[in-house]
Formats: sequence, structure tokens, C-alpha cells
Amino acid sequence: MVEFRNVMKRYPNGTVALRDINLKIRKGEFVFVIGPSGSGKSTLIKLIMKEEDPTEGEVIVNGYNISTLPRNKIPYLRRSLGIVFQDFRLLQHKTVYENVAFAMQIVEATPKEIRRQVPMALALVGLSKKADVYPDQLSGGEQQRVALARALVNNPSLLIADEPTGNLDPEISLEIMKLLSEINQRGTTVIVATHEKSIVDAMKKRVVALDRGQIVRDQEKGIYGDEDKDNKIYS
Amino acid sequence: MKIRTIKYIVKEGFLNTYRNKLMSLASVSIVTATLLIFGIFFAIILNLNYNIKAFQEQPELEAFCYTELNDEEINQVKEMLMNNDKIESVQMVTRKEAFEKLKEMLDNREEMLEGYSENIMPVSFIINIKDTSRTPELVEEIKGIFGIESVRYSQRVIDIMNRINSWVKWISTAFVALLTGISVFIISNTIRLTVFARRKEINIMKYIGATDWFIRWPFVVEGVIIGIAGAVLAFILLCYGYSSIESNFHSDVTRLSINFISIAALRDIASKVFGLLLLIGSSVGCLGSMISVRKHLRV
Ligand SMILES: Nc1ncnc2c1ncn2[C@@H]1O[C@H](COP(=O)(O)OP(=O)(O)OP(=O)(O)O)[C@@H](O)[C@H]1O
Ligand SMILES: [Mg+2]
Repeated sequence: MVEFRNVMKRYPNGTVALRDINLKIRKGEFVFVIGPSGSGKSTLIKLIMKEEDPTEGEVIVNGYNISTLPRNKIPYLRRSLGIVFQDFRLLQHKTVYENVAFAMQIVEATPKEIRRQVPMALALVGLSKKADVYPDQLSGGEQQRVALARALVNNPSLLIADEPTGNLDPEISLEIMKLLSEINQRGTTVIVATHEKSIVDAMKKRVVALDRGQIVRDQEKGIYGDEDKDNKIYS
Repeated sequence: MKIRTIKYIVKEGFLNTYRNKLMSLASVSIVTATLLIFGIFFAIILNLNYNIKAFQEQPELEAFCYTELNDEEINQVKEMLMNNDKIESVQMVTRKEAFEKLKEMLDNREEMLEGYSENIMPVSFIINIKDTSRTPELVEEIKGIFGIESVRYSQRVIDIMNRINSWVKWISTAFVALLTGISVFIISNTIRLTVFARRKEINIMKYIGATDWFIRWPFVVEGVIIGIAGAVLAFILLCYGYSSIESNFHSDVTRLSINFISIAALRDIASKVFGLLLLIGSSVGCLGSMISVRKHLRV
């Protein structure tokens, strides 16, 4: 599903954000990517959606080789992904329903498909009642659920989220994470970058810990762990 | 591309234009100005060609006798012409025929001729030349014949008009090229503003898997809308101006000199002009937005 082979990422300014990354994520997994600020979590996520290209090594996502994928094929890679951001990124002049439907319009779905899928996605995230509301009338947690519904409406096989709860209260964060877990149980592979210790500890999922661009721990049913200890062992 | 996608793209294009009213309006005005100037030049060229054609349909040479000449004198002139070895054939136009022709040309203003008879008209001879390269020489010879008042030598008029025509073409090409450049620049700037205003949306669309062209087309549509609006406006202004010139022209020119220069009827050239304005307007709009979209929409 997702594979990193000896990946190194150096930004044009010389910063090496990731090095020696070898990582395999199989279909149906739920993976937390954790690490302190600047450890390379976002960079890892950006490589998966080809916002950035690896400097060395290979990244394979849903069968697409990120380094060699031509520009005009990028939309098709992204259609096979659901992407969720910390800042929700909803269209402010479209209603909740229209925001979700828009993701289907873009892939030229039929009106019939749209009418069937959008209410289903909204029901899944518990927002059926808010379909005709505009994003600025929603709470942060609700907005992120709309973003989730949009990410899911085209049935992607892989959902990636970069700090999806970064702007939310702890309880709401846990709710969103539970929703992600539920989505994962329906068969979607989920990768979440976060630094919310309590949530990671509570969910007992696979944890990939990054520090200064390297993987310092990869643990099934992991916990956030003690960063100092990680650092001592690996640095 | 599916119909519903095309619908979406066109709708977005109109919305973009509307949301960016002020700049759209500015761009429309510059396109209108460009096309108006183009239209004026084009109308001049069309009219020159129209006149050249009219002259070409006329005989190469027509020699007019003095109106007062009697039949015998006319016969003498005819003899002289027929004996000239540079002349292929001669055909006489009688006073009656000339009068009829004038009537025909005056069309519905025949009442101007009331009270006159065919005797006001001169007899003329239509002359076919053997070797057209020697026409100027022949014209001088004919002018020397006793009884000939004037020779109409349409080739010379045609030559002059052709020369004017090519000048007008050069000047208009330069002007229109310059103005087209300016229009393209202004349109691309307008589109750039729209792209800028919508960069957040564009970014979102990228991440949910919109193809480059799905994102770009509405902006191209916006450019084309501006181009077409400019073309329509320019056409309306042109029609208005042209028809007023047309009506003045008829009343003046017929008084001054019948049968020299005439003006093409608006209804005859309107569709040609409109088609061309639309073509140029939409091309300019399309080009302007393409430039902008390529430069500022690295999706
Ligand atoms: N576009 C960029 N150009 C240059 N350097 C960058 C760029 N993006 C990130 N970096 C650098 O790469 C390193 C990793 O950044 P990244 O954003 O992946 O970290 P992160 O783990 O997501 O941090 P945070 O938890 O703060 O979001 C940092 O040192 C950062 O400064
Ligand atoms: Mg980050």
C-alpha cells in the first residue's frame, strides 16, 4: 500500500528532513506517525501525496512510484487518497453538502452517484443534520468531520491526515480519532501524523516514531513513549 | 469531458468574471477599444476592395465625347478610334444608353432627373486594348483626338486604390498588433487577479484530485467571456458609426460626383465584420488567460 525504501529528503535550502526511511504500511493498517516538532512528520505525509519528491530512495503509494509519476498523473494518485489537514481546508462559500459533493464533481461522478454517496458520507461522520450549513457556522470539530466526509466520499483506499486534531480540544480530538479508527475498521488504511500523546496512548495502534528525520521506533500497539528515552537510545 | 463538467466550467467562468467585476470591466473596455480600431481599419479595407472591384468591373477605358458633338463628328471620332492599331475593339454607348444607366444608378432618386432628357448625356466609347502595358500611352493619344472631352482610365484609379489599400493594411496591422498585445497583457493580468483571489480554493481542488485542466478551464472561459463582450460592444459602436457615415455619404457624394467612390452597405459587411471581431476577441481572451494560467497556476 505505502512503502518507503531508503528515503532521504533534503529541502532546497539544505535541511535534511528525512533520512534512511524504510517503512512498509499494509492494506488495512492504522498507523500513527509521531515525533517532536521538526522531526519530519509532515514531510513524510507530503511525500505520500507527492507534494514533495524524495531526494533519494523510492516512495510507492497505491502502486504509484512517487519519484517517477508524471505531473499529469498526480490527480489520479490523489483521487486514490483521502487527505485531511489540520486547518480543514473547506470551501467557505459552499455548504457542508456542497463541499462534500464537490469532491465527487471533480472526479466527474454522476449526479445520481453524488446524491447517493454524499448523504452516506455525512451520516458516517454524524453531520446529516448540518448538510445545508456553511462552514463558518460550524465548530472546529464539526468542520474537521466535514473534511473527513469529503476525504472519504470517493471511497479512497488510503486516508492520510496531518495533525487532524491540532486545532481541536482534547475531547473533540479523541472523537475524531475514534471516527478515523471506525473508518479504518471498514477497510480503509489510515495514516495519522500527530503529537497528541494521550490519544496515541489510548488507541493502541501501530506507532512510527520519528526524531530528527529518522525512524527511532516502529511498534505494533504502541504508545507515544518517552521521547527522552528514545533520543538516548538512538542518537 | 462530460457535459456536466462543461456546465460547471462555464458557470465558474461567469462567476469568476462577476466576482472580479472591476478588472473584468477594465479588460472589456480595452478589448473594445482594440476591436473598434481594428473594425474601423477593416471597414476601410473592405470599402477599398469594394471600390476596386467596382472599378474592375468597369471597362478598362472609356472615352467620353463632348456633349455638344453632332452625329457626324461622333462618327469621325469612332473612325479614328477604330483605325488605331493599339485598339482591339470599340463599342459605342449612345446618349440613350448612358441616360438609362444614370437612372439606374440613381436608383430611387430618379426624380432628380425630372425635366432632363437624354441630351444631357455625352456619347462615349468603351475601348478594349490590345496590350495593356501601353495603356498610358494610348490614353494620351485618345485625349488628343478632336471631340474627346475625357478618358476614364479605371486602371489608374485601381492602382492608386491598391496602393492606399496596402498602406492601410500595413498601418492597421501594426496598430492592431500593438493593441492586441496590450489587450492580451491586460486580460492576463485580470485573470491573474482572479487566480490570486481563488488560490485557496485552487489549492484545495489540487488535493482532492482535480486535474490541471479542470482547474484551469474556468479561467480560460473568463478570458473568452471578456473577449466576446469586447467584440460585441465594439460591433455595436461600429454599426452605429458606420450607418451614420453611410447615410451622410449617400446624400453628399451623389451631389458631388456620381459614380466615383461608393460605400459598401452595412448589411453586406456586417456579418463579416462581426465574425472577425468575435474571432479576434475570443482568441485574445483565450490567449490572455492561457498565459496567466500557465504562469500562475502551477498545479
Ligand atoms: N519547505 C521547506 N523548506 C525547507 N525546509 C523545510 C520545509 N518544510 C519543512 N522543512 C524543515 O524540515 C524539517 C521537518 O519539517 P516537518 O514539517 O516535516 O516537521 P514536523 O514533524 O511536521 O513538525 P511539526 O510537528 O512542527 O509540524 C524541519 O527542520 C523543517 O524546518
Ligand atoms: Mg507538521
